[in-house]
Amino acid sequence: MKIKVTTKILDANDRIAEENKKIFKNAGIFVINLMSSPGAGKTSLLERTIQTIKDKVKVGVIEGDITGTTDAERIERLGVPVVQINTEGACHLDANMIAEAAKDLPLNDLDILFIENVGNLVCPAEFKVGEDLKVMILSLTEGDDKPMKYPLMFQESSVLILNKIDLKDYLDVDIEKIKKDSLNLNPKLKIFEVSCKTGQGINEWTEWLLTNISWKKP
Amino acid sequence: MHEVSIASELIRVATLECNKNGYNKISSIKVAIGKATGVMPDALLFAFNVLKEGTAAESAILVIEEIPIKGFCEKCKKEFEGNNSYIVFQCPFCESFSVNVVSGKELNIIEMEVSDEN
Repeated sequence: MKIKVTTKILDANDRIAEENKKIFKNAGIFVINLMSSPGAGKTSLLERTIQTIKDKVKVGVIEGDITGTTDAERIERLGVPVVQINTEGACHLDANMIAEAAKDLPLNDLDILFIENVGNLVCPAEFKVGEDLKVMILSLTEGDDKPMKYPLMFQESSVLILNKIDLKDYLDVDIEKIKKDSLNLNPKLKIFEVSCKTGQGINEWTEWLLTNISWKKP
Repeated sequence: MHEVSIASELIRVATLECNKNGYNKISSIKVAIGKATGVMPDALLFAFNVLKEGTAAESAILVIEEIPIKGFCEKCKKEFEGNNSYIVFQCPFCESFSVNVVSGKELNIIEMEVSDEN
Protein backbone atom coordinates (compact mmCIF):
# COMPACT_ATOMS: atom_id res chain seq x y z
CA MET A 1 0.00 0.00 0.00
CA LYS A 2 0.99 3.63 -0.49
CA ILE A 3 1.61 5.89 2.46
CA LYS A 4 1.98 9.64 2.20
CA VAL A 5 4.65 11.01 4.44
CA THR A 6 6.37 14.34 4.81
CA THR A 7 9.50 13.47 6.65
CA LYS A 8 12.59 15.59 6.44
CA ILE A 9 15.78 13.76 5.65
CA LEU A 10 18.66 15.24 7.55
CA ASP A 11 22.19 14.62 6.64
CA ALA A 12 23.42 12.06 9.21
CA ASN A 13 26.01 14.65 10.22
CA ASP A 14 23.30 17.26 10.86
CA ARG A 15 21.47 14.81 13.12
CA ILE A 16 24.57 14.22 15.27
CA ALA A 17 25.25 17.99 15.25
CA GLU A 18 21.76 18.55 16.70
CA GLU A 19 22.50 15.98 19.43
CA ASN A 20 25.78 17.75 20.23
CA LYS A 21 23.93 21.05 20.43
CA LYS A 22 21.56 19.61 23.03
CA ILE A 23 24.44 18.27 25.13
CA PHE A 24 26.19 21.66 25.03
CA LYS A 25 22.99 23.53 25.78
CA ASN A 26 22.23 21.32 28.77
CA ALA A 27 25.73 21.96 30.10
CA GLY A 28 25.23 25.72 29.57
CA ILE A 29 28.08 26.09 27.08
CA PHE A 30 28.25 28.54 24.19
CA VAL A 31 30.06 26.87 21.28
CA ILE A 32 32.06 28.63 18.58
CA ASN A 33 33.25 26.94 15.38
CA LEU A 34 36.38 28.79 14.26
CA MET A 35 37.31 28.36 10.60
CA SER A 36 39.87 29.74 8.15
CA SER A 37 42.59 28.85 5.66
CA PRO A 38 45.79 27.32 7.04
CA GLY A 39 47.96 30.06 8.56
CA ALA A 40 45.27 32.75 8.78
CA GLY A 41 45.71 32.89 12.57
CA LYS A 42 43.12 30.63 14.22
CA THR A 43 45.38 29.51 17.06
CA SER A 44 46.87 33.01 17.45
CA LEU A 45 43.37 34.48 17.72
CA LEU A 46 42.48 31.84 20.31
CA GLU A 47 45.61 32.66 22.35
CA ARG A 48 44.82 36.39 22.32
CA THR A 49 41.12 35.81 23.02
CA ILE A 50 41.68 33.36 25.87
CA GLN A 51 44.26 35.63 27.51
CA THR A 52 41.76 38.48 27.39
CA ILE A 53 38.65 36.68 28.64
CA LYS A 54 39.81 33.79 30.81
CA ASP A 55 39.40 35.71 34.07
CA LYS A 56 35.74 36.40 33.23
CA VAL A 57 34.60 33.10 31.71
CA LYS A 58 35.71 29.48 31.74
CA VAL A 59 37.01 28.48 28.33
CA GLY A 60 37.64 25.07 26.76
CA VAL A 61 39.11 24.27 23.36
CA ILE A 62 38.88 21.44 20.84
CA GLU A 63 41.75 21.57 18.35
CA GLY A 64 41.28 19.97 14.95
CA ASP A 65 44.30 19.13 12.81
CA ILE A 66 45.13 16.50 10.25
CA THR A 67 48.08 15.46 12.39
CA GLY A 68 50.18 16.65 15.33
CA THR A 69 49.61 18.32 18.69
CA THR A 70 51.37 21.68 18.17
CA ASP A 71 48.19 23.74 18.50
CA ALA A 72 46.92 21.92 21.59
CA GLU A 73 50.30 22.48 23.26
CA ARG A 74 50.05 26.23 22.57
CA ILE A 75 46.58 26.32 24.14
CA GLU A 76 47.58 24.13 27.10
CA ARG A 77 50.22 26.71 28.10
CA LEU A 78 47.35 29.12 28.81
CA GLY A 79 46.01 26.73 31.44
CA VAL A 80 42.66 25.93 29.85
CA PRO A 81 41.31 22.43 29.10
CA VAL A 82 42.05 21.35 25.53
CA VAL A 83 41.47 18.21 23.47
CA GLN A 84 43.31 17.57 20.23
CA ILE A 85 41.55 15.76 17.38
CA ASN A 86 43.72 14.31 14.62
CA THR A 87 41.57 13.73 11.55
CA GLU A 88 44.32 11.63 9.90
CA GLY A 89 43.59 12.98 6.46
CA ALA A 90 40.08 14.39 6.65
CA CYS A 91 39.93 18.04 5.59
CA HIS A 92 37.30 19.16 8.15
CA LEU A 93 35.86 18.29 11.55
CA ASP A 94 32.50 16.52 11.59
CA ALA A 95 29.84 16.28 14.30
CA ASN A 96 30.82 12.76 15.31
CA MET A 97 34.43 13.76 16.00
CA ILE A 98 33.16 16.56 18.25
CA ALA A 99 30.80 14.19 20.10
CA GLU A 100 33.78 11.95 20.92
CA ALA A 101 36.16 14.79 21.83
CA ALA A 102 33.58 16.47 24.08
CA LYS A 103 33.61 13.38 26.33
CA ASP A 104 37.15 14.31 27.38
CA LEU A 105 36.23 17.86 28.42
CA PRO A 106 34.84 18.97 31.82
CA LEU A 107 31.64 20.25 30.15
CA ASN A 108 29.88 21.29 33.35
CA ASP A 109 32.80 23.56 34.27
CA LEU A 110 32.87 25.47 30.96
CA ASP A 111 31.13 28.62 29.72
CA ILE A 112 32.60 28.83 26.21
CA LEU A 113 33.95 26.08 23.97
CA PHE A 114 36.06 27.05 20.97
CA ILE A 115 36.32 24.44 18.23
CA GLU A 116 39.28 25.21 16.00
CA ASN A 117 38.53 23.56 12.68
CA VAL A 118 41.05 22.14 10.22
CA GLY A 119 42.66 24.90 8.14
CA ASN A 120 40.57 24.93 4.96
CA LEU A 121 38.34 27.59 3.44
CA VAL A 122 36.02 25.08 1.75
CA CYS A 123 34.78 21.90 3.48
CA PRO A 124 34.44 23.06 7.13
CA ALA A 125 31.67 25.45 5.98
CA GLU A 126 29.56 22.45 4.89
CA PHE A 127 29.64 20.52 8.15
CA LYS A 128 27.78 21.60 11.26
CA VAL A 129 29.36 20.36 14.46
CA GLY A 130 26.77 21.57 16.98
CA GLU A 131 27.97 25.16 17.27
CA ASP A 132 26.03 28.30 18.27
CA LEU A 133 28.21 30.62 16.22
CA LYS A 134 30.45 30.27 13.19
CA VAL A 135 33.42 32.62 13.17
CA MET A 136 35.84 32.83 10.24
CA ILE A 137 39.19 34.49 9.86
CA LEU A 138 40.56 35.94 6.64
CA SER A 139 44.11 37.24 6.85
CA LEU A 140 45.05 40.14 4.59
CA THR A 141 47.87 38.18 2.97
CA GLU A 142 45.31 35.82 1.40
CA GLY A 143 44.08 38.55 -0.96
CA ASP A 144 40.87 40.46 -1.54
CA ASP A 145 39.40 37.99 -4.06
CA LYS A 146 38.59 35.33 -1.43
CA PRO A 147 34.95 36.22 -0.61
CA MET A 148 33.87 35.70 -4.22
CA LYS A 149 36.03 32.58 -4.66
CA TYR A 150 34.93 30.83 -1.45
CA PRO A 151 31.45 32.30 -0.93
CA LEU A 152 29.94 29.55 1.22
CA MET A 153 32.31 30.17 4.14
CA PHE A 154 31.39 33.88 4.08
CA GLN A 155 27.66 33.09 3.82
CA GLU A 156 27.70 30.55 6.65
CA SER A 157 29.71 32.62 9.14
CA SER A 158 28.25 35.21 11.49
CA VAL A 159 31.56 36.88 12.23
CA LEU A 160 34.49 37.70 9.94
CA ILE A 161 37.81 38.52 11.61
CA LEU A 162 40.23 40.32 9.27
CA ASN A 163 43.59 39.37 10.74
CA LYS A 164 47.13 40.67 10.08
CA ILE A 165 45.74 44.20 9.79
CA ASP A 166 49.22 45.45 10.87
CA LEU A 167 50.46 44.47 7.39
CA LYS A 168 47.98 46.55 5.42
CA ASP A 169 50.47 49.19 4.31
CA TYR A 170 52.77 46.53 2.89
CA LEU A 171 50.22 44.62 0.82
CA ASP A 172 48.31 45.24 -2.41
CA VAL A 173 45.07 44.26 -0.80
CA ASP A 174 41.84 46.24 -0.94
CA ILE A 175 40.22 45.93 2.50
CA GLU A 176 37.11 47.82 1.41
CA LYS A 177 36.60 45.30 -1.41
CA ILE A 178 36.83 42.41 1.06
CA LYS A 179 34.21 44.09 3.26
CA LYS A 180 31.92 45.02 0.36
CA ASP A 181 31.96 41.56 -1.23
CA SER A 182 31.55 39.83 2.14
CA LEU A 183 28.56 41.98 3.06
CA ASN A 184 27.03 41.42 -0.38
CA LEU A 185 27.20 37.68 0.25
CA ASN A 186 26.03 38.02 3.83
CA PRO A 187 24.53 41.38 4.85
CA LYS A 188 24.39 40.33 8.54
CA LEU A 189 28.11 39.53 8.78
CA LYS A 190 29.87 41.25 11.70
CA ILE A 191 33.40 42.30 10.73
CA PHE A 192 36.38 42.98 13.04
CA GLU A 193 39.83 44.19 11.98
CA VAL A 194 42.49 42.72 14.24
CA SER A 195 46.16 41.97 14.50
CA CYS A 196 46.97 38.95 16.62
CA LYS A 197 50.61 40.08 16.47
CA THR A 198 50.15 43.57 17.96
CA GLY A 199 46.84 42.98 19.75
CA GLN A 200 45.05 45.70 17.74
CA GLY A 201 41.27 45.19 17.65
CA ILE A 202 41.30 42.22 20.06
CA ASN A 203 39.40 44.13 22.76
CA GLU A 204 36.61 45.14 20.35
CA TRP A 205 36.20 41.50 19.31
CA THR A 206 36.24 40.06 22.85
CA GLU A 207 33.87 42.73 24.18
CA TRP A 208 31.43 41.99 21.36
CA LEU A 209 31.83 38.27 22.04
CA LEU A 210 31.12 38.54 25.77
CA THR A 211 28.07 40.77 25.30
CA ASN A 212 26.57 38.89 22.37
CA ILE A 213 26.78 35.33 23.56
CA SER A 214 24.25 33.94 25.93
CA TRP A 215 24.96 31.15 28.31
CA LYS A 216 23.31 30.05 31.46
CA LYS A 217 24.52 27.43 33.85
CA PRO A 218 21.65 25.09 34.79
CA MET B 1 27.93 17.00 -1.31
CA HIS B 2 27.36 14.16 1.12
CA GLU B 3 25.13 11.77 -0.81
CA VAL B 4 26.26 8.66 1.09
CA SER B 5 25.47 10.25 4.42
CA ILE B 6 22.07 11.41 3.10
CA ALA B 7 21.24 7.99 1.59
CA SER B 8 22.06 6.30 4.88
CA GLU B 9 19.79 8.71 6.76
CA LEU B 10 17.08 8.30 4.09
CA ILE B 11 17.03 4.52 4.60
CA ARG B 12 17.01 4.92 8.39
CA VAL B 13 14.09 7.38 8.36
CA ALA B 14 12.10 5.40 5.74
CA THR B 15 12.47 2.19 7.76
CA LEU B 16 11.23 3.99 10.90
CA GLU B 17 8.19 5.34 9.01
CA CYS B 18 7.49 1.89 7.55
CA ASN B 19 7.65 0.15 10.94
CA LYS B 20 5.62 2.91 12.61
CA ASN B 21 2.78 2.15 10.18
CA GLY B 22 2.94 -1.59 10.97
CA TYR B 23 4.77 -2.80 7.85
CA ASN B 24 8.19 -4.30 7.30
CA LYS B 25 9.00 -4.04 3.60
CA ILE B 26 9.47 -0.99 1.39
CA SER B 27 9.04 -1.30 -2.37
CA SER B 28 9.39 2.35 -3.37
CA ILE B 29 10.38 5.68 -1.87
CA LYS B 30 9.65 9.03 -3.49
CA VAL B 31 11.78 11.96 -2.38
CA ALA B 32 11.73 15.68 -3.17
CA ILE B 33 15.21 17.14 -3.56
CA GLY B 34 15.67 20.88 -4.02
CA LYS B 35 18.28 21.92 -6.56
CA ALA B 36 19.85 24.31 -4.06
CA THR B 37 20.81 21.45 -1.73
CA GLY B 38 23.77 20.55 -3.93
CA VAL B 39 22.67 16.90 -3.79
CA MET B 40 23.43 15.14 -7.06
CA PRO B 41 20.57 12.74 -7.96
CA ASP B 42 22.86 10.22 -9.68
CA ALA B 43 25.19 10.06 -6.70
CA LEU B 44 22.22 9.70 -4.31
CA LEU B 45 20.76 6.84 -6.38
CA PHE B 46 24.11 5.10 -6.47
CA ALA B 47 24.59 5.43 -2.70
CA PHE B 48 21.00 4.32 -2.03
CA ASN B 49 21.38 1.17 -4.15
CA VAL B 50 24.60 0.21 -2.38
CA LEU B 51 23.36 0.92 1.15
CA LYS B 52 19.85 -0.58 0.86
CA GLU B 53 21.12 -4.19 0.94
CA GLY B 54 20.07 -6.03 4.07
CA THR B 55 17.51 -3.37 5.06
CA ALA B 56 13.71 -3.18 4.80
CA ALA B 57 14.30 -1.15 1.63
CA GLU B 58 16.38 -3.91 0.02
CA SER B 59 14.18 -4.20 -3.07
CA ALA B 60 12.93 -0.61 -3.05
CA ILE B 61 13.25 1.73 -5.98
CA LEU B 62 14.09 5.37 -5.31
CA VAL B 63 12.19 8.02 -7.25
CA ILE B 64 13.68 11.51 -7.14
CA GLU B 65 11.60 14.58 -7.84
CA GLU B 66 13.77 17.66 -8.32
CA ILE B 67 12.48 21.01 -7.03
CA PRO B 68 13.68 24.07 -8.96
CA ILE B 69 15.28 27.01 -7.18
CA LYS B 70 13.22 30.09 -6.46
CA GLY B 71 14.86 33.15 -4.97
CA PHE B 72 13.64 36.43 -3.56
CA CYS B 73 15.84 39.51 -3.85
CA GLU B 74 15.92 41.56 -0.64
CA LYS B 75 17.15 44.59 -2.56
CA CYS B 76 14.74 44.94 -5.50
CA LYS B 77 12.02 42.77 -3.89
CA LYS B 78 11.52 40.60 -6.98
CA GLU B 79 11.12 36.85 -7.14
CA PHE B 80 13.06 34.87 -9.72
CA GLU B 81 13.57 31.31 -10.86
CA GLY B 82 16.14 28.94 -12.17
CA ASN B 83 19.48 30.24 -10.97
CA ASN B 84 21.43 27.01 -11.20
CA SER B 85 24.48 27.80 -9.19
CA TYR B 86 24.81 25.81 -6.01
CA ILE B 87 26.47 28.40 -3.83
CA VAL B 88 26.15 31.95 -5.13
CA PHE B 89 22.61 33.16 -5.66
CA GLN B 90 22.58 36.41 -7.52
CA CYS B 91 19.51 38.44 -8.44
CA PRO B 92 19.15 38.42 -12.25
CA PHE B 93 17.50 41.88 -12.15
CA CYS B 94 19.77 44.00 -9.96
CA GLU B 95 22.76 41.62 -9.52
CA SER B 96 22.53 41.83 -5.74
CA PHE B 97 23.71 38.87 -3.64
CA SER B 98 21.21 39.62 -0.87
CA VAL B 99 18.96 36.80 -1.94
CA ASN B 100 16.78 34.49 0.11
CA VAL B 101 16.14 31.02 -1.23
CA VAL B 102 12.36 30.55 -1.20
CA SER B 103 12.37 27.00 -2.54
CA GLY B 104 15.07 24.59 -3.63
CA LYS B 105 16.43 23.55 -0.24
CA GLU B 106 13.96 20.67 0.25
CA LEU B 107 15.19 17.25 1.27
CA ASN B 108 12.05 15.28 2.07
CA ILE B 109 10.48 11.86 1.76
CA ILE B 110 7.02 12.47 0.29
CA GLU B 111 5.61 9.02 -0.45
CA MET B 112 6.43 5.37 0.17
CA GLU B 113 5.00 2.05 -0.95
CA VAL B 114 5.10 -0.48 1.86
CA SER B 115 3.86 -4.00 2.48
CA ASP B 116 3.80 -6.70 5.13
CA GLU B 117 5.90 -9.72 4.31
CA ASN B 118 7.05 -12.53 6.55
